[in-house]
Amino acid sequence: MANKRNWTVALALGAAVIGILVWRPTVLIYGLQAAGIYASIAIPMGLILGIVHIVNLAHGEFMMAASYLTYMVCRATGMDPFLALVPVAAVTAAFGFGIYKLTIRQALKAPELNQLILTFGLAILLTQAANLAFTSQTRKISFDYVSASVDIGELSFGIYNFVFVAIAVAMVVGLRLFLTRTTTGKAALAVGQNPRGAAIVGIDVDRTYALVFSLASALVGMMGAVFITRSSIFPAVGSPFTMKSFCLIAMAGVGNIPGILASSVLLGVSENFLKAFRGTRGWADIVFFVLIITVILGRSIRGKKA
Amino acid sequence: MKRNTLYLAAAAAAVLAAALPAFLGAYPLNVARSVMTYMALAVSWDMLLRSGQISFGIAGLFGLGSYASALLVLRAGMDPAMSLVFATLFTGALAFTIGFAVLRLRAMYFSITTLALAEIFRIVLHNLHDFSGGPEGVVLPGVIFGGDTRALYWLCLGGLAITLGVSWYFEKSKLHLALTAIRNDETSARSSGVDIFRYLLIAFTITSTLQGMMGAIQVQSYGFTTPETAFDANFTLLPLAMALLGGIHSTLGPMAGAVLLGIASEWLKLKIPYGHLVVYGIIIVLVILLMPRGLVGLARKRRTGRGA
Amino acid sequence: MKTLVTEHLTKRFLGLVAVNDVSFSLDAGEILGIIGPNGAGKTTFIHLVSGILMPSSGKVLYKGRDVSYTPAHERARAGIARTFQLIHPLENLTVIENVMIGAVFSRGQSLKEARKSAEGICESLRLGDLGRDTASLSILEIKKMEIARALANGPEVLFLDEVMAGLNTDETRQMISMVKAIAKERGLAVGVVEHVMGVIRELTERVIVLESGELIAEGPYSEVSKNPRVIEAYLGGAA
Repeated sequence: MANKRNWTVALALGAAVIGILVWRPTVLIYGLQAAGIYASIAIPMGLILGIVHIVNLAHGEFMMAASYLTYMVCRATGMDPFLALVPVAAVTAAFGFGIYKLTIRQALKAPELNQLILTFGLAILLTQAANLAFTSQTRKISFDYVSASVDIGELSFGIYNFVFVAIAVAMVVGLRLFLTRTTTGKAALAVGQNPRGAAIVGIDVDRTYALVFSLASALVGMMGAVFITRSSIFPAVGSPFTMKSFCLIAMAGVGNIPGILASSVLLGVSENFLKAFRGTRGWADIVFFVLIITVILGRSIRGKKA
Repeated sequence: MKRNTLYLAAAAAAVLAAALPAFLGAYPLNVARSVMTYMALAVSWDMLLRSGQISFGIAGLFGLGSYASALLVLRAGMDPAMSLVFATLFTGALAFTIGFAVLRLRAMYFSITTLALAEIFRIVLHNLHDFSGGPEGVVLPGVIFGGDTRALYWLCLGGLAITLGVSWYFEKSKLHLALTAIRNDETSARSSGVDIFRYLLIAFTITSTLQGMMGAIQVQSYGFTTPETAFDANFTLLPLAMALLGGIHSTLGPMAGAVLLGIASEWLKLKIPYGHLVVYGIIIVLVILLMPRGLVGLARKRRTGRGA
Repeated sequence: MKTLVTEHLTKRFLGLVAVNDVSFSLDAGEILGIIGPNGAGKTTFIHLVSGILMPSSGKVLYKGRDVSYTPAHERARAGIARTFQLIHPLENLTVIENVMIGAVFSRGQSLKEARKSAEGICESLRLGDLGRDTASLSILEIKKMEIARALANGPEVLFLDEVMAGLNTDETRQMISMVKAIAKERGLAVGVVEHVMGVIRELTERVIVLESGELIAEGPYSEVSKNPRVIEAYLGGAA
């Protein structure tokens, strides 16, 4: 089912891509680059939602925290973020593990209301803690390699952000291999599909949840490290990504990780499409919100008919 | 007789609240206004929560009410007092329409959609430069009642009184049965003849109307607003934390939470100018984990005996 | 005219047929047993009749009116009531409030009237101490409250989905006579889903047997229980 839909989406996207490519290639290029960022932030959240069945409304804030950590590490040691991401990912994995053990685990059996509000509270806690520690002032480190660009004929565009596309693709492939080829991954997948059944066949569900939560935290922490190479950071920098990630997951359908990549491309390209016109530039932000509502409502209506 | 003491206490509190301007100066009255605004939002949020639906869109409706009132004055030349009424009705009508779509959704999908709607309202007003003043916002020709601190206080108190009255009606009428039944088990509620969609629509429309009303009062009391102030996420965040701390599914709980946190935040604002809201985050997390029924729930524990 | 009739009622879930072409009728004053092995589609059948689920095809006729696609709350108001197999007492309401809901929303009574009629129903079921929280109820009391909730709708048709499950012999006997009394006093058409055959034998005049969603036999229990197809269905189900 999911595969079939992926193909339809891919086909529709393909047609749109050719159209835009002819008309305004930068829309496509920057759209894809934005998609890379969206997808690589959304995929770890999708992993948690698919297996632990928790909507982590503090997901973007985890990334924000990792960004600040990287910022401090890089400032103090002069390390490159691509190097710093290793220790940062280790720290965020531990942080994710702690958060899981201390809070999420307690709320797993509670009503969904409590889970939503809990992670919402964590998001506020992290944002405001950052506010407290760093004030709301924006921080930025500049790197030369970020401005790398390519000229093709009359067309000139930045290529650095393709790094994010590579990261997103690597995540999709890596997670696929992990979930289908390793014992731990297979166990995690089983827990995601049927925690009770998995427990009966002897899988330690709690351990699996903790592992998945740590892994996802490590991934988003890594993204937080790389994030500072392209963007300045401030306490609220993560929160839009929480919602965008949720939207992308909802569009793809829970559990469909490659689908997140496809929906990211759709979002990235449509946003950049609007940004291409002077008159509609300010409206680009709305694309995503309209998209999320359309998708969610569409799903609920189709769900009723099925 | 227990009920009578309750009514007596409520009446005494009302008289005291109404007489407060006689004793207090401008600064405490402004703090009181802010507390009352958050209290009304917290109670209205809780009213919808009694049906099990968690809205993250309080700021959206609050901001919508603000802008509707401001624009009615600026673009339609309406009298500020009249604009309060029409802005309130406008928010309600819009919520009623939106309700047909969003009330098909449940749980996280409903919550996220209300959050997204709030963002859409903000972005629209941010971008309609000629109509809404864009990012710079709107400045009204003047503050309502000539900016008299006492009159503004009473106006805000009036808004709060309406909200509390409606909430009390929610608790005492058959809406209480309907919303609680829906929250507990929709299938079972349907089998008892509860028209779920109808009651959700009523609750959603009424609570949104109240939130819009408080927004309209706010903008007329300050005389200006911007998309970022009117749709400030704090208008979602703070009421939520207040209701949780005080105890959800009641009128009294959110009220108690609003007084505690409202006064605490004024104090914290002076002590910690940046990030004093971290306290709210901590409160939300701790309350959810340790006492999901809040302060009022803690007090009532003996009577009900079970956790939420 | 029979009170409740289904014609070729069918429900498919993604290719799986849960209820297949079931036609039956139920009349006022009658207690009908609905039996069959686990997964035979009994609960789905009640869901279809009460409007919790909509049929894929076929019809539900209530007093001659086609209610196949009428929403559940409207069917409740029209007079089709039911209990649930997995009991869901409304936890944040007291016993009396739980029972009042049906009277308020199905019969359109005011809170005052509803309280009165709910008290009447609880009294006839010998369910006392109505201001209690539902958390403190015993299984028997919960089952009684479930029946009271359904009766508060003011129904003409009542489906009881495994109300005897979890009760001891004494309580079961008490429940049987209670159900009989209710049906007789109120002239109800009652459908009972039950696993314990002793209960079916004592309580019902007629049974229908479902297996894999199909109606395989119908008649008095004494006859149906000798039907080779039924025996095979049960043995197959047990194996």
